[in-house]
Amino acid sequence: MSAPPDDTREVVIDVDALVTRFGRQTVHDGLGFRIRRGELVALIGGSGSGKSVLLREIIGLQRPQAGTIRLLGTDVWSAGPEALQALRRRFGMMFQEGALFSSLDVAANVATPLREHADVPPALLDALVDLRLSLAGLAPDTGRKMPSELSGGMKKRAAIARALALEPEVLFLDEPTSGLDPITARAFDRLLRFLCHDLGITVLLVTHDLDTLLTIAERVIVLGGGRVIADGTLEEIITVDDAWVRAYFSGRATVPVDRQDAA
Amino acid sequence: MTETPRAFDLDRDGDRLVLALHGEWRLARLAALQAAFDALPPDALTRGAVCLDGRGLAGIDTAGALLLWRGVQAAGAAPEHCALEAFDPRHARILDLVRERLPQTGTRAPARRPNVLAQLGMQSEGLARLAVGHVAFLGLTLSEIARAVVRPSVLRRRELMAQFRQVCVNAIPVIVLVTFLIGTIIAYLLGLQAEQYGANIFVVDGVALGMVREFSPIIVATIVAGRSGAAFTAQLGTMRLTEETDAIRTLGLSPEQVLVVPRVLALVVSLPLLVFVGDLAGLLGAVVVSNLMLDITPATFVDRLHAALEARHYVIGLAKAPVFALFIAVIGCRMGVAVSRDTRSIGIHTTSTVVQSIVVVILLDALFAVLFQELDL
Repeated sequence: MSAPPDDTREVVIDVDALVTRFGRQTVHDGLGFRIRRGELVALIGGSGSGKSVLLREIIGLQRPQAGTIRLLGTDVWSAGPEALQALRRRFGMMFQEGALFSSLDVAANVATPLREHADVPPALLDALVDLRLSLAGLAPDTGRKMPSELSGGMKKRAAIARALALEPEVLFLDEPTSGLDPITARAFDRLLRFLCHDLGITVLLVTHDLDTLLTIAERVIVLGGGRVIADGTLEEIITVDDAWVRAYFSGRATVPVDRQDAA
Repeated sequence: MTETPRAFDLDRDGDRLVLALHGEWRLARLAALQAAFDALPPDALTRGAVCLDGRGLAGIDTAGALLLWRGVQAAGAAPEHCALEAFDPRHARILDLVRERLPQTGTRAPARRPNVLAQLGMQSEGLARLAVGHVAFLGLTLSEIARAVVRPSVLRRRELMAQFRQVCVNAIPVIVLVTFLIGTIIAYLLGLQAEQYGANIFVVDGVALGMVREFSPIIVATIVAGRSGAAFTAQLGTMRLTEETDAIRTLGLSPEQVLVVPRVLALVVSLPLLVFVGDLAGLLGAVVVSNLMLDITPATFVDRLHAALEARHYVIGLAKAPVFALFIAVIGCRMGVAVSRDTRSIGIHTTSTVVQSIVVVILLDALFAVLFQELDL
């Protein structure tokens, strides 16, 4: 039910037999999936099903008890510090609340990874920051604002701009549309689709937003009981016989018109 | 990654200028690419229609595309009139994407730094506002305390006790340690001098008077400012950040009554007690040093203490404590309440609380010194 076997695109995220425990509580019980280059995948599941934890394990923030995670060909949890550091330049992460550095203005936030990890000519740095802001849908003057002066939606856009700074091959997003009004949230969906289709970035997002799923997700992975209970296109997921999945999609079992425009 | 020595070749093809791109145009190679454009004369692309050739392009990202368009611009050509030839569709899409956004880049207004005079003005105004805010908050707190006195039922006894435990009981070990050490230091230094004149016994006079009247209140107030004043700001600031204070207000309660009054009262009661503990510990330190170094037995020390230390010194030392406490608590709470809703603000305000509290304690102490002098106390 996962990606068709004839898909020859390179596997960029490969999670296998992953086990995570907190004390006696088992969050992941041998789960696994693969994501190929250029896919836009949504990760869903009930509260406490370990979606955010999974994301943190993939990007090397939290160590799982067992299993392997290969990101862009590097085994995240057995790689040496240098390999890990090199890997960190190749993906971007947007945290749920943005996690912008509150002592720096937005432009300095976006410039931080560029200054630290790339040899950007000084004359180009400002223009490059502006380009990142523009790709994330922000006006250049927003760069002068402090994170505390931004609305929730702008914070998330600024966080995306920072995550995009180093031209990542993979972008991880933790609940990109939570706390946003529907109009801003849909604009955000368009932004993600643009990043995936036009820039060729592989996108993995954790979401609760049904509309995001219906509008942009090409593939949905459902977590439950510590395992992947469903993995496939939205049409396939909707037909899965699982109580949680049925409850989740109840009343929304049709694909909206907007999605057909997108295809 | 295939590194080609040249970033591009510029050739004339009839009346067209063909810029043929080579290799990877990516973030990792920006410096080399920029150098190639820097070597180009500023009018290199002005004589003829410019055409970009993507045959040799191995890869491009948005940073590379941005550099390309800016380089083309710097060499005198208009990016929107450049033709793209033989590009991979993905590469062409990225080039188009960045070309569309070119007008929005590099237009950000530079950050404005106010000059020294303006900064001085802003700082002074900020200081004045801060002082006015403190006075208003002091008034508000006192009126809330008065309300609690008139109607004791509004007082949060449980919170009061929790705060008392936190600011008083839990502070005792550190207060004892520090004042004990201060006592030994003063006794030791005085002893060094007094020994030369055979006036060992007067060390007791010096330590007792200094410790009880000045050192213990100041030291204890400083520790409490750093410990509890900072904690008040951090606690109330975090509560503002998580909207807990708003929730309290929404439930029809007064944040001043629930949060501020217990803290202020707890500190005002605690500080004299802590100063008393400090007095004892400081004198104990002096007893130890006197016994070991100056041949003054503890019994002699206590005898001399009775003769040397008049009750008024002790009372003055204790009487200063609640005043210090009131100011420390009010500053701590007010700075916490004034936190703006971002994380950085909590750190700034907490630091400010400690600095302000210590300055105010010293100022008050100087004021008391003059006052008691005038009153012949």
